[in-house]
Amino acid sequence: MTDILIDIDDISKTYHAGGTAVPVLQNLSLKIARGQAVAVMGPSGSGKSTLLSIIGGLNPPTGGRIMIDDIDLYALSRERRADFRREYLGFVFQQFQLIPYLTAFENVLLPLTTTRYPARQKREMAQQALKRVNMTGWADRLPNQLSGGEQERVAIARAVVNEPPLILADEPTGSLDTRTAGEIMELFSSLNESGLTILMVTHNPGNTSYMNRTIAMQDGLLTEDSEAIGVLPAGQARPLESVGGR
Amino acid sequence: MNLYNIAVKNIIRRKTRMLLILCGLIAGIATAVALFMIVGSMRLALGDQIDEFGSNVIILPRTEGMDISYGGTHVSRASIDLEQLTETDLDKIKEIPDYNSINIVSPKMVAAVTVNEREVLLVGIDPRREFIMKPWFSLGEQAGLPAGAAPGDLALIELPDNGLIAGFDSARSLGLDAGDIIDINGSSFIISGVLNPLGSVEDGLFFGNLAAVQTLLGRPGEISMIEISAYCNACPIEEIAAQLTVALPNGRVTALRQAALLREETIDKFSIFSILLSAVVLLIAALLVVTTMMASVHERTREIGIFRAIGFRGSHVMQIIFLEAGLTGLLGGITGYFSGSLIAGLAGSYLAGSSVPVSQQLNLLLPAVALALLITLAAAAYPARKAANLDPVEALRFI
Repeated sequence: MTDILIDIDDISKTYHAGGTAVPVLQNLSLKIARGQAVAVMGPSGSGKSTLLSIIGGLNPPTGGRIMIDDIDLYALSRERRADFRREYLGFVFQQFQLIPYLTAFENVLLPLTTTRYPARQKREMAQQALKRVNMTGWADRLPNQLSGGEQERVAIARAVVNEPPLILADEPTGSLDTRTAGEIMELFSSLNESGLTILMVTHNPGNTSYMNRTIAMQDGLLTEDSEAIGVLPAGQARPLESVGGR
Repeated sequence: MNLYNIAVKNIIRRKTRMLLILCGLIAGIATAVALFMIVGSMRLALGDQIDEFGSNVIILPRTEGMDISYGGTHVSRASIDLEQLTETDLDKIKEIPDYNSINIVSPKMVAAVTVNEREVLLVGIDPRREFIMKPWFSLGEQAGLPAGAAPGDLALIELPDNGLIAGFDSARSLGLDAGDIIDINGSSFIISGVLNPLGSVEDGLFFGNLAAVQTLLGRPGEISMIEISAYCNACPIEEIAAQLTVALPNGRVTALRQAALLREETIDKFSIFSILLSAVVLLIAALLVVTTMMASVHERTREIGIFRAIGFRGSHVMQIIFLEAGLTGLLGGITGYFSGSLIAGLAGSYLAGSSVPVSQQLNLLLPAVALALLITLAAAAYPARKAANLDPVEALRFI
């Protein structure tokens, strides 16, 4: 087993809109070690969410290759990539994206629905995940009966319920007030300390202080990396002091 | 929790939408079930009416040589018959397996006789059986009635041994009226009644009691032909004819297909009409399912994106859509069956214009549910496929 969990090799992504090619990612290479908590920053349209969706197996790149845990993600069929997501990835979306007609407990249980675990084990795993985010008392509530911070915690519990090695988070604190955002980032930090690798897209520079690595993007290019692992040409990578520390 | 729970919770959540699908489906299935039941009752009623409307099997002696004709059927002269039919053959008819399907057996003795120097056909009959079998026969004149009194029901008339019923043309050509006396082979007969014109060969006949005619002709117990009216909703008339052929080796059995063909043709038209109407209503129901399911899939784009992102395969998403459609179809099929039964029961006799009550057919429940399932699943196929192929990135607006 390698220490590198994510190995992105020269990926590009171009969208076509009205006959015009719009490059979103350009020859991007990046390696993320197992156990890292990486913040991806950049202005809107810089390609960070596209990068996240590509790493999440949802959005095939136009060129290049991406390996996760030595698996060539886009060599897999569409359905096998779904299986891969279920086993390897936990998603935390912007604005929580909970299923409104399912309770908190059922939302957490959702990724296990299509697994072969016995029903009892599934319930235990979901209870454990809710406990991990301190939401056991809210298990029977519907999403609209929860505050933003509570919904975010449920979303995180859903992401970790199948104990994946990698969590992908897209602006997880974008809809939260500063205090609640801090609590959520503490939670991510503790998840990282428990061994989970986290890749988080964020606009909030304050969030980077909870991460142990920060990269910046601009116009589809990786422009800065706080901890270059041979990704950028020598001398170009530098710590992102400007985005603050913990 | 499993995919089934997700489907059920989504149905409960979108009650109005699902109720709309359900209503369309119930309307379609109820229409099909009600029409099927009504047409079934019409088939029975019409079959009975047509079966009672005359004979549909004729038995003649095995014969060779020259025949004389009666009613479009050749009637042999006794002198050249190879085999004879006798009254003992009537008992053999009772022994065939489908005797219960036989309504009336009407034996006849037919012979050419001379009346007032003119040759006419005299038919010996059992008046009750013959005139019940042929309800379109009616009396224009009846002997012994007071002036101005209407003739009685022919099927109820008591015809004396020396009484005859004259066909309209026979009476007119011979200048006979009810009450007149005629001589046949030295015996006197009274014209008990004269038939109204029928526009058929019967207008040229004389009808008398079978026993009296047999005696008159010196052929006691002998029969020239047997006419049979059979109910054959449950059995083909050819089957009865085949059984009669076996039972009466001395007879030539002919099944008259006209009545059966007319009945089948009429019923077929009703069936085609009901199938077409049901198909149109069911098509509308199917379109309703498609459009509603499409709207549901569109409304749930983001939700489906989440399912896909957290590891649901496209086939899992399809299963959820099919489960929702299947559950709706199951409920719609059962409710549609009972609604259709209720409609058929309440309005069936009125719609069918029949006095026969529409019978409930529980055996239609399974086909009704299967049809509802087939429609909803087929109608959900496109929306389900569309849902499974949703681009999760687009669905979640990642970009």
